[in-house]
Amino acid sequence: MQRLNIPTPLNPHNHPNPTLQINPDYSIGRFEAMASPCEILMAGLSENEAKALTVTAAQEAWRIEHKFSRYVADNIVSKINSSTGDAVEVDEETARLLDYAKQCYELSDGYFDITSGVLRKVWRFDGSDKLPEKSDVANTLEQVGWHRINWSSPFITVPEGMEIDFGGIGKEYAVDQTLQKLQQLVQQKPSEKQAPSEYSILVNFGGDLACSGPRPDGRPWQVGIESNHALNQAVASLSIYQGALATSGDSRRYLQHNGVRYGHVLDPKTGWPVLKSPHSVTVAAPSCTLAGMLATFALLKGEQAEDFLKDQQAKYWVQWG
Amino acid sequence: MQLKTNKQLSKTLAAATCTLLGSQAGLVEAQGEVGTWDVDTAVLYYAESDDRVQAAEPVISATRNYENDQKLNIKLVVDTLTGASPTGATPSDTVQTFTRPSGRGGSYEIKSGEQPLDDTFIDTRVALSTQWSSPINRDWAYSTGIYGSAEYDYISTGINGNILRYLNNKNTTLNAGMAISHDIITPEGDIPVPLSRMAIPNTPDFDQDFADSRDGSEETKDIIDLMFGVTQVINRRMIMQFNYSISLSDGYLTDPFKILSVIDDQAGANYGGNLTDADGNNIYLYENRPDSRMKHAFYWQTKYQLLNGDIIDGSYRLMVDDWGITSHTFDMTYRWQLGNDYLEPHVRYYMQSEADFYQRYITSTEYNNGAPTLTEASADYRLGDLDTWTLGLKYGHRLDNDQELSVRLEYYQQTSNGDSGIGKLTDQELYPDTSAIIVQLGYSF
Repeated sequence: MQRLNIPTPLNPHNHPNPTLQINPDYSIGRFEAMASPCEILMAGLSENEAKALTVTAAQEAWRIEHKFSRYVADNIVSKINSSTGDAVEVDEETARLLDYAKQCYELSDGYFDITSGVLRKVWRFDGSDKLPEKSDVANTLEQVGWHRINWSSPFITVPEGMEIDFGGIGKEYAVDQTLQKLQQLVQQKPSEKQAPSEYSILVNFGGDLACSGPRPDGRPWQVGIESNHALNQAVASLSIYQGALATSGDSRRYLQHNGVRYGHVLDPKTGWPVLKSPHSVTVAAPSCTLAGMLATFALLKGEQAEDFLKDQQAKYWVQWG
Repeated sequence: MQLKTNKQLSKTLAAATCTLLGSQAGLVEAQGEVGTWDVDTAVLYYAESDDRVQAAEPVISATRNYENDQKLNIKLVVDTLTGASPTGATPSDTVQTFTRPSGRGGSYEIKSGEQPLDDTFIDTRVALSTQWSSPINRDWAYSTGIYGSAEYDYISTGINGNILRYLNNKNTTLNAGMAISHDIITPEGDIPVPLSRMAIPNTPDFDQDFADSRDGSEETKDIIDLMFGVTQVINRRMIMQFNYSISLSDGYLTDPFKILSVIDDQAGANYGGNLTDADGNNIYLYENRPDSRMKHAFYWQTKYQLLNGDIIDGSYRLMVDDWGITSHTFDMTYRWQLGNDYLEPHVRYYMQSEADFYQRYITSTEYNNGAPTLTEASADYRLGDLDTWTLGLKYGHRLDNDQELSVRLEYYQQTSNGDSGIGKLTDQELYPDTSAIIVQLGYSF
């Protein structure tokens, strides 16, 4: 196993440098990003390519993490959230994400709302039984609602007290962007151009993953879906030939009060967690962002999560209890 | 809570996600999924210049995918043809009157200098075929099917079987196939006696003359086709196919509606004009073709994918038969990938030499006062010396994993050549060019 050095400017959050393990069948690059263990699985590629791909993947994941994280003081998201009602001009990538967020808001009839992040100020999903006061939730709800935002590309105006949060899209978007970048990198290498069927890359950021195609010998990648009862134990094993998987759920973040489990998916119209939603929803789709959004929409449906997914003819796995 | 509970939501969401991620965002064609139907539908419209043949052809082809890579395909084609088609007679400096093929519908007139075209050529054909294909084991597979088509005066039925053998990790595929078909022809007005005289319309003896020129109401034709082919993956970007095929037709191969003009080759005032009988009526004879035909064809095709994803597809076909026809077909398409769209220019060049028994007209010497010295003759331009060019462009748009729309526009130009006639006949245009446009709209899901 080797450690790959990435210069500090490209590693703004000071994550440990990525590692690379070369196995006979495929290589694995590993690093941390967006509070998740990240892996890049590569089959049919040389050691030099595996190094370049791992480094590129880490840099892209860290770039997106830094650009769209709530916790960074001087990125575009902070600029928007501290703008106190002034218009902020955004770049092309941010504009695309805002357009997407708007479309998801409309398609979900307002249930997917990137302004609902402020509710975290009253909800702390730490596994305890401390529910917030109803009045606190009601007050915070005043600062929630995409309809209160003025988004007219490339300018966004966020009223004082309101915030936007790309947490619901960010990780899946990073998976797709990273995979695209890695594929472009392989295709561009002058001496080692390869047909897409000769290699395969799988990008996995903490369970949200996408792959470029089956492995060169035609075999799929084997992926496990984590059980919500016993973390780190798989409840289902999937064979992936192509496409992406994303999971939404409360495996690691929830509150338990009077025997009722409150998942961390909040209903932006009430300020309270969506009732009777499954513990987790995993969806398979051509892209990770699409899979993640379908999973999120399903969770927002609560009891009807499975009916919704059936209706959309999605490939899904739902864990209820 | 009310989310749009219909398929439309996930399609809209998928499209929005594509916009977010850019054109490569995984619109992968979802074909061949077990338990699903893959359906291709298209409508084709064909129109020749000068009010000649027009055709509209809707097609629907549905493939049902089963476990273990087995497939069942069902295809329905409806063909409606209208418009005028050359009869084989030559244009003349005088008015010509022809009997309708049915003998009942009266006659039609062709003005001086005009191409003799019969516009009663209206028909609708329905064809249904079904094909089953399945692997036998890792190295072998087979396919078999049946086919039937019917139109007002023609029925065709057939069966086929095909066996495939894979070698070299499926890089090489050998295949051998056979198809047999049996056609029944029952033309309106019955089968004409070969090289008999077309009865003159509006004459007292017409009915008798017409009846005399008829020989039964039904004829049949049998065809056996054998094909041997090899498909070879040359490298990661290129695949090639070679085929050799033999086709044997036996039975009634003549076109019951085609005629030949008899042209006077005696020196004198009428040299090169239509031969007339004692009553001054022009003489036309029904054509006759041999009752068997053996074709050999050799076909080569290559598909090559460029580094940017574009595909070039080129093919060549050589056909030689015992009617004396040799033909060459060169075909090339270039698929220009543009994200979820593609643009596909197409060019095709076809040339054939004329059949041994092809002749633009019969001379009076050959007519020999009603006892023709020939046994076979046809003036059907499709058996003559032809050169054709086709230029086309197809545009396709992939809507999502399942759906694709396409539109194709083609321009077809055909020139014929041959013996330029004698005497007066040389003033006539014996080989007019034909052009046609083809428009096809397709939708797959």
